[in-house]
Amino acid sequence: MNLERLPNEEKLTLCRKYYLGKLQMYVCVWGFAFLPFLWLVNVVWFFKEAFVKPTYTEQLQIKTYVKRSGLGLLLWVAVLTTWITIFQHFRAEWGEVGDYLSFTIPLGIP
Amino acid sequence: MCSNLVRCLGDGNTSLQKLATSIVFFFCLSDVSCNSVEQKIYVELNNTVPCVRLLNATHQIGCQSSISGDTGVIHVLESEADLEWPLSKGPNPPYMVLLESSLFTRSIMMKMKNESNRVAGVAVVVPNTSPPEFSPHTTCPNENTGVYSDNYGPNLAHCNTTVWNPRGNGLSYEEFDFPVFSLKEDNETEFIKQCYLDHNRAVNGSAPQYPLCAMQLFSHMHAVTNTPTCMRRNDINFSINPEMVCDPLGDYNVWGSIRPYNDTVFGHKENESVVIAAARLDSRAFFWEVSTGAEGSVSGFVTLLAAAQALREVTHAAPPTRNILFAFFQGETFDYIGSSRMVYDMENGKFVIDLDNIHSVLEIGQVKNLVNNLQSSTAGLGFLLVEPNVSQPLPPSSLQRFLRAQPIPGIVLADHESAFNNRYYESFYDNAANLNLTYPSDLSPEEQLEFVTDTAKSLTDVATVVARALYKQAGGDESLVNTIKADPKIVTQMLYGFLVSSNNSWFQAVMAPELKNILKPSPPEYYVGVAMSSTPTRLVQYLLANLTGAATNLTQSQCMYSYLWVQGIVPPNSTERDSFCVRASVRLTKAVSPAFELGEYASKDYSTWTESRWKFIKARIFLVASRDLEMLTLGVGVAVLFTSLLVTYFISTKADVLFSSTREPASAAY
Repeated sequence: MNLERLPNEEKLTLCRKYYLGKLQMYVCVWGFAFLPFLWLVNVVWFFKEAFVKPTYTEQLQIKTYVKRSGLGLLLWVAVLTTWITIFQHFRAEWGEVGDYLSFTIPLGIP
Repeated sequence: MCSNLVRCLGDGNTSLQKLATSIVFFFCLSDVSCNSVEQKIYVELNNTVPCVRLLNATHQIGCQSSISGDTGVIHVLESEADLEWPLSKGPNPPYMVLLESSLFTRSIMMKMKNESNRVAGVAVVVPNTSPPEFSPHTTCPNENTGVYSDNYGPNLAHCNTTVWNPRGNGLSYEEFDFPVFSLKEDNETEFIKQCYLDHNRAVNGSAPQYPLCAMQLFSHMHAVTNTPTCMRRNDINFSINPEMVCDPLGDYNVWGSIRPYNDTVFGHKENESVVIAAARLDSRAFFWEVSTGAEGSVSGFVTLLAAAQALREVTHAAPPTRNILFAFFQGETFDYIGSSRMVYDMENGKFVIDLDNIHSVLEIGQVKNLVNNLQSSTAGLGFLLVEPNVSQPLPPSSLQRFLRAQPIPGIVLADHESAFNNRYYESFYDNAANLNLTYPSDLSPEEQLEFVTDTAKSLTDVATVVARALYKQAGGDESLVNTIKADPKIVTQMLYGFLVSSNNSWFQAVMAPELKNILKPSPPEYYVGVAMSSTPTRLVQYLLANLTGAATNLTQSQCMYSYLWVQGIVPPNSTERDSFCVRASVRLTKAVSPAFELGEYASKDYSTWTESRWKFIKARIFLVASRDLEMLTLGVGVAVLFTSLLVTYFISTKADVLFSSTREPASAAY
């Protein structure tokens, strides 16, 4: 979808939708879970709109949405990286708990 | 000039074209066959046996390879001092070490285990002749699951008084993180050694040049750590593709009795007193499944089968007061799987008799050399039975599991007073040659089957003594004892079938039609395994039925017997077999450790041995190039890629200049 062709109000609505994760009415429940990805999309897609393009009326709001998406994204990345590192490192030592938390257990190695 | 060239090419075009197409066509025709490149590179090794991983409550033993195989440059080891080439001096690690059997010792394997980042794997060449002695088992077999423990006879436990297997080097119970395969002494091994001599030999101290001969071994095991972990991972059903990673070791015990029992009534039987005659069926070796157990187990159970046959007539004519139960236990090598299960079933009322019904136990252990004293005893036979010192513990035997549950009088018959006489206990050299089973060279297989060897004669004497002792112990008529004699012909036929070739006419006649395919021209494997279909169990079941049961015309009375339909012999003038129904009181009971019934995978009382699963096991050799050459080839390829990208980019940006400039002269010429 080429942002250049959209009028500014529609850009704002789109940014807000991605920020809130309400892409469809019934997806709103699941939006929360996919928020890191939606926020990443938000930041990447609207970065030019928010910070590079010359000012227009809706740009301020778009800027806040992009900033907040960026912060949320960083938080999620930090949490996930920490958890993944800990799990991969200690799964073998945790024995039973490690096995029950795993989705696939590698064969032949502890 | 350019246009003149074009005109020349245009004229000669047709003949050039014809030449080009005919050359291409010729090449196509000559290389029509499907020549796989893989076959030109790899030579598959077919007669290999791997060492696999086994686990118990606390440890894992055996060997493991990486999931995509372990590759190493072949090095044929000449002596123990030569080990420093693969372990430190050699310039092309990792190495795949090829050992002769004389070098397959504990010190060499331990040194390689410690430097396992330079050793990719080991291949052992197993010769046809045995070395003077070799036993990969531990020095104290089954030390934690016998009757002696820190609470009961601590000075006798853990082999403090008698070391049963002093020659044991414990290799079977070590853990190696590289694969160990065994090779036979045949053309494949010669090919490997030739490949090594051609490519891998260091010439005058300088390093050998690439390409080098390499071997790749695949034996990736799925299970890790110990039995509780692998059983837990078996049960987890969370993932999309649940995989079993290990199986408990176990099979069936065979038992039969003089007076039959109703197979559905379990528990204590009033006024029933039973003498149990026991022997073990299984054995093991370092490599998976290759185990012949001649002195270790075959000598014992063949003697017991012969004794059972010797008792058949006299117990029908003059039945003794007590019943005699013949029991053959599977899995005894691995912490008494079969006997612990039978004792457990008796304790919990799941067997036809109870521990209180047992009068005494007579167990036959390793009896190869029982007849070495030619002085005649009062029984008129060629050997003397000696009772060892009172302070001597019992050797590792199934009787120990019975004693662990309840004090029961018992005897273990063996040919060793303290340490084992067996020089190849639980190893792949414990075969027919170890029992001195030799046949004159000019006999056909059928004649060999019937030939009574000296070993057979001595085991027959042992069987006679055992049968007489059992009859007396069971309270039989004293005057009839001397009429009991074991049949040497039957003993020699059993020895032939169990140690030389199981596909012989007698075994064929005795087996059921649906099982005749388990008989092979080689001796059966005595490893207990996980498939619950071990050949020795089936053979002993049908032999016991044949030797103690009666051929009948199928009558359907109260079925306290098991009815087995067997193939029978081929009469001389026909091709159809004379099949018939044997009625015998021979039964199979499950021999899987009670630890798996109870779910106590970390049990200290019962055997917890499991065997890992694997996807495939194979070995192959090929020539391998140096790392530098590989990197160079990759580098050149990447460079060509980038160059072509650059050239394409350059041409596309300057397209208007390049292509219009060629058109211009052409239009100028016209």
